[in-house]
Amino acid sequence: MNVVVCVKQIPDPAAPGEMNSSTNTLKRDGKLIMDDSDSYGVELGLQLAEAGGGGEVTLVSMAANGETGGLRTALAMGAAKAILVSDPQLSGSDALGTAKALAAAIKKAQPDLILAATESSDGYTGTTPVQIAEILGLPSVTFAKKITIDGSSIKVERQTEAGYDEVTCPLPALVTVTAGVVEPRYPNFKGIMAAKSKPVEEVSVSDLGLSSSEVGVAGARQEVFEIVAAEARAAGEKVVDEGDAYEKVIGFLEQLKLI
Amino acid sequence: MDFLETDEQQMLREAVATISKKYGHSYFVEKARSGQKATEMWKDLGDNGFCGVNIPAEYGGGGMGIAELGIVAEETAAAGAPMLMLVVSPAICGTIISKFGTTDQRSKWLPRLASGEMIMSFAITEPDAGSNSHKLNTTATKDGDVYRINGSKYYISGVDEAEAILVVTKTGVDENTGRGQLSLFIVDTDAKGLDKQPLPVEITAPEKQFTLFFDNVEVPADRLLGTPGNGLAQVFVGLNPERILAAFMACGSGRYALDKASDYARERKVWGRPIGTHQGLAHPLAIAKINLELASLMAKKAAWLFDNGHDASESANMAKYSAAEAAIAALDQSIQTHGGNGMSSEYGLADMWGAVRLFRTAPVSKEMILNFVGQHSLGLPKSY
Repeated sequence: MNVVVCVKQIPDPAAPGEMNSSTNTLKRDGKLIMDDSDSYGVELGLQLAEAGGGGEVTLVSMAANGETGGLRTALAMGAAKAILVSDPQLSGSDALGTAKALAAAIKKAQPDLILAATESSDGYTGTTPVQIAEILGLPSVTFAKKITIDGSSIKVERQTEAGYDEVTCPLPALVTVTAGVVEPRYPNFKGIMAAKSKPVEEVSVSDLGLSSSEVGVAGARQEVFEIVAAEARAAGEKVVDEGDAYEKVIGFLEQLKLI
Repeated sequence: MDFLETDEQQMLREAVATISKKYGHSYFVEKARSGQKATEMWKDLGDNGFCGVNIPAEYGGGGMGIAELGIVAEETAAAGAPMLMLVVSPAICGTIISKFGTTDQRSKWLPRLASGEMIMSFAITEPDAGSNSHKLNTTATKDGDVYRINGSKYYISGVDEAEAILVVTKTGVDENTGRGQLSLFIVDTDAKGLDKQPLPVEITAPEKQFTLFFDNVEVPADRLLGTPGNGLAQVFVGLNPERILAAFMACGSGRYALDKASDYARERKVWGRPIGTHQGLAHPLAIAKINLELASLMAKKAAWLFDNGHDASESANMAKYSAAEAAIAALDQSIQTHGGNGMSSEYGLADMWGAVRLFRTAPVSKEMILNFVGQHSLGLPKSY
């Protein structure tokens, strides 16, 4: 089974992010790392490719500045190769523009299964994966916590608020993976040393047969007019324990319908 | 000149840091205090190939050098769980066997050293021969097809975790100089006649120290490593990696202490302001940071020189000296920054004092390093 995993390379969340004041979007011109939420998709992809017998994992990513740092981490984990859509014209793409570029790149890899995180840790639109599926004309299943291959289809346990749905879906398909459902492996030393020599195919917008009006700022159908700082969190309620603190805490939790 | 780590080195650092943080200081201390070993963490590092990054690839190692093994050691220490046996097993023993072992010896020992599956201790220090290796009294005598070892060693780390010990012995005396001619043997830890007594020390670490008594311990001739009588030169090949690794590990411990101090100084408020706003606390931490960075730079230089086949003795000594002093100062200042909490078990600082203070004494004392620098770097007359 050949699996494509969408990997987003994002500015390090541990470093303070900077906004571009003209476009009101996050600056992404420095060093980028693999979005942690994609590590679950990479791990699941590797497990499914191994279980499916003889397949491999191809990473697909998009970065305006040709950055591959985050991809190398996933290649060190065991992915076989990567396709990086990189083009200055991509800068300022909205979710739909991103989906168009990624879909065109994924098409080149002709996978049996496409995995993506439910949402990225920097943009949080959570819409790109399903847009990719729509563009490729494939079924999509969201919030997977478990995927099992069953011949030419997959069985997915889909996380819901109440429990989970069991969904059967024909392949090829796109599935979004909930964070924390598997323990991502560490890149081992052999993987780290091998990562550099694994192929990363860099493709431009025109290589993918897209026009510059479909992507980047030109193709964006959304515009961020203003960004405002998040409101400071209001002070919490302090419970002073005078022997009855547990009652107050229980009452508080009941009020929130948590217990 | 390039001061940036390669992509591989950065990924190595991240991967080892991730594993090490999963265990962390409380795991390390719990294992130490309950008399257990940090087996799970060691195995996790070994299974992922990190215990043998410096062992040649044809023997199952990572095929890189002391710079990479230094990164592994530093990151374990920076997570508060320094893996001391990295200094001994792959750095000293791995280097000496790679360089002087026969093909059979390399094939026998290196793959399992590289995977971390086996640990090898190293025994040189004796009660009457500390820094002066010429005065070693443990002898190995040829007896037909075997050698017989007699004598004693002390402050030998991790013998209870090791499958074998690389032992430095005297096999003869140079008639001209009167100095001992040394030879190296790989001795099984469970060899008959080898008595291993724990040597209690005030260091909180899972790795224990031992006194060894060799009573006519029989060793097959194929356990002789390298050229008989040339042991001292061979040992020195392993001692620079030991010093460099100790420097990386000290830098890691210093980082651990300094990170804790910085976190605390940002959060802890007295009179309504974080204590880190006070320069009386901020400046000493800044100085500790500068000294750790300088020591780390020297450790990297020493590793680079060693890995590229240059003489690394001066830089390895300087790295060990400066890293020890920087780590001790960083830990001391971190404890001070924490006020009374600095001594509490909960904050995980005071328990490190023995191990960090030891860096000033071992693997080579501050005084012997200063002797070396005085004599070799400055051309001053020898005092001993």
